[in-house]
Amino acid sequence: MSEDIIKLRNLKKIYRMGDEKIAAVNNVTLNFERGTVTCLLGKSGSGKSTLLNLISGLEKPTKGEIIIKGLHVERMDETQLAKFRQQYIGFVFQSYNLLGNLTALENVTLPLIFKRVGIKERKERAMEMLKAVGLEKRASHKPSQLSGGQQQRVSIARAFVNNPEIVFADEPTGNLDTKTTYQMMDLMMGLSGKNKQTLIIVTHDMEISDYAQRIVHLSDGRIERIEYNSESIKHSNELGKARREEVK
Amino acid sequence: MSSFDLINMALRNLWKRKLRTFLTVLGVIIGTASIVVMISVGIGMNVGYRQQIEEMGSLYVINVNAPYSSDSNSKEKVQIDTASLEKFRKIEGVEAVTPVLQEYFTLIDGRYVYDTSIMGILPETMEAMGLDVSTGRTLQEGDSMAVVLSAYAKTGFYNPKLSWQYRWNGSQSIEIDPYNDKFQITYDNNYGTKQMDKSIKPKKIQVVGEMKENGQNSYYTVMPIADVEKIVAEREKYQKSKGQTTNTNKKKGVYNSAMVKADDIDSVERIQQELKDMGFETYSLVDYLKQTQETSKMLQMVLGAIGAISLIVAAIGIANTMVMSIYERTREIGVMKVIGATVSDIRRLFLTEAAFIGFMGGLTGVAISYGVSKIINVVGVNMGRQTLSAIPIWLGILGIIFATFVGVAAGFFPAVRATKLSALAAIKTE
Ligand SMILES: Nc1ncnc2c1ncn2[C@@H]1O[C@H](COP(=O)(O)OP(=O)(O)O)[C@@H](O)[C@H]1O
Ligand SMILES: [Mg+2]
Repeated sequence: MSEDIIKLRNLKKIYRMGDEKIAAVNNVTLNFERGTVTCLLGKSGSGKSTLLNLISGLEKPTKGEIIIKGLHVERMDETQLAKFRQQYIGFVFQSYNLLGNLTALENVTLPLIFKRVGIKERKERAMEMLKAVGLEKRASHKPSQLSGGQQQRVSIARAFVNNPEIVFADEPTGNLDTKTTYQMMDLMMGLSGKNKQTLIIVTHDMEISDYAQRIVHLSDGRIERIEYNSESIKHSNELGKARREEVK
Repeated sequence: MSSFDLINMALRNLWKRKLRTFLTVLGVIIGTASIVVMISVGIGMNVGYRQQIEEMGSLYVINVNAPYSSDSNSKEKVQIDTASLEKFRKIEGVEAVTPVLQEYFTLIDGRYVYDTSIMGILPETMEAMGLDVSTGRTLQEGDSMAVVLSAYAKTGFYNPKLSWQYRWNGSQSIEIDPYNDKFQITYDNNYGTKQMDKSIKPKKIQVVGEMKENGQNSYYTVMPIADVEKIVAEREKYQKSKGQTTNTNKKKGVYNSAMVKADDIDSVERIQQELKDMGFETYSLVDYLKQTQETSKMLQMVLGAIGAISLIVAAIGIANTMVMSIYERTREIGVMKVIGATVSDIRRLFLTEAAFIGFMGGLTGVAISYGVSKIINVVGVNMGRQTLSAIPIWLGILGIIFATFVGVAAGFFPAVRATKLSALAAIKTE
């Protein structure tokens, strides 16, 4: 029996726009098992990003509880959140969000710098991560010298360099073509599989959801239904290969 | 985030926006340089005053006078005599003491005469009292009937036979040779004129040196006090024999003034106070120096305030640059927060950048100030002033620290603002 690393209780986020109230996340109760891949699926505006931001503490809920590893995220202050993120969380964004004046290697090193890891160790670890995403030859390149796919690889390396227990990805392949999308997904699956990391991926792309063991369908801020994927690509390399062949 | 990483990142951020950083730093350079140069002029005046005052005489010497009218009801009469001179010698920090006798005698060089103020002192104290010579030597122990000529003697001799109008204007300057001519001295100020009294016999005297110009004592001809007393005694005898009232009601062994030399400039004030407590009147160049220092302190403050205005403008420039930079880097700040930067990391990063702008501006500004100060002094020398601007090391260091502090202060508000950015809103910014 695996434990639930994340527990959401009656989570609610209401945005006020003048007199109008928008319930971006409405009464969500959901658990995430350690080491699993969950996909949040839904149309644009269904509240996927908001839910993800609530879980990662980037936004405060209007109501409800977020308990990660027994800690109440909604009660943390800025400093506690920063330490918490340093410790347990990695992020992959749709728009990569690399720092433009740092090299690929330095971008990957950044979370370790904030965590005060020693110079030698962090360089080794960052280089190792770059190798894992196949960009060791681009270590000293600036983001502007890299393609979209390469930038996203750097961003993935940055998310995993700390070996976080949880990785959040908000539409990580939204800006990439289909072929690169699969490469990226394979990469994340490979990395998270190795260390039994918990992965939460937001997408509106049905194809991507095939990688997840569980698909949470969202609509108007509510959970519409939950689907379990017995044959997730993560577990069946055959399927993955088949898909990649298709694309080629 | 460690300090090393912080500085590294701050420098890279500044380097990335080289031109803007340079322009902001330039503002600080100008601000710092104007403050430092302004203050340096104030200090330079101080140094200049001091040089001028030191030129006037020794800062270590205190002139002591007996009060004009000592209190009639005070038991002990306050006067400068052997006993009080001995008391002066015993004050801590006193190096030398001499009684001073001032007279007005006439020097004779052949047909020419020179009326001069005479200062009689103990010959062995002459050097200690800062009575410097331009040629020859100072008086020494054992000197008798020897003088150090007034600095103005060379051009001061005249022919007493000529009427007043011709003495100065009509004739060419009279050449005297201080070391080869034979000089005589007399208390008869009418010597050589029709009113002279032939019965008064001038005394032979030897010139051993000439006083330096521009000092407060340059116009004195300095003589051993014993010789002066001898001449004065003769004059009194002469005056009595003629039934005249003597023009000195001087008792032997009582003097109207004295000079006291301190071993250190810092003891001058204390010794002066002790002398005052004994009832004497004192005066030293330190009194004068103090006054000029007060004046130049005021001047320094006014000039510094003028310079400060340009540094305030520079501070606004720093604040502006930092705020601009925050707008541009909103997204970057958000990303850093999301991947684990703490509020204090962000604040320190911005403060460090602002501090560096201040520091670099301060460093360059102070360096430039030294150059400007040199130029001002070169101009000053041409104008006949010795020092117009001086930057002591403390001012240089203070300038750099102050500029850095101004940078930090100017960066404070923007830095706090940066920490308040919501990570999420920052990431969403395109
Ligand atoms: N900061 C905000 N202020 C007001 N409304 C917001 C804000 N963020 C999101 N919303 C609204 O909340 C709903 C959910 O948005 P979001 O979570 O971004 O959807 P998704 O990621 O599924 O596209 C949308 O209707 C959106 O307009
Ligand atoms: Mg979204």
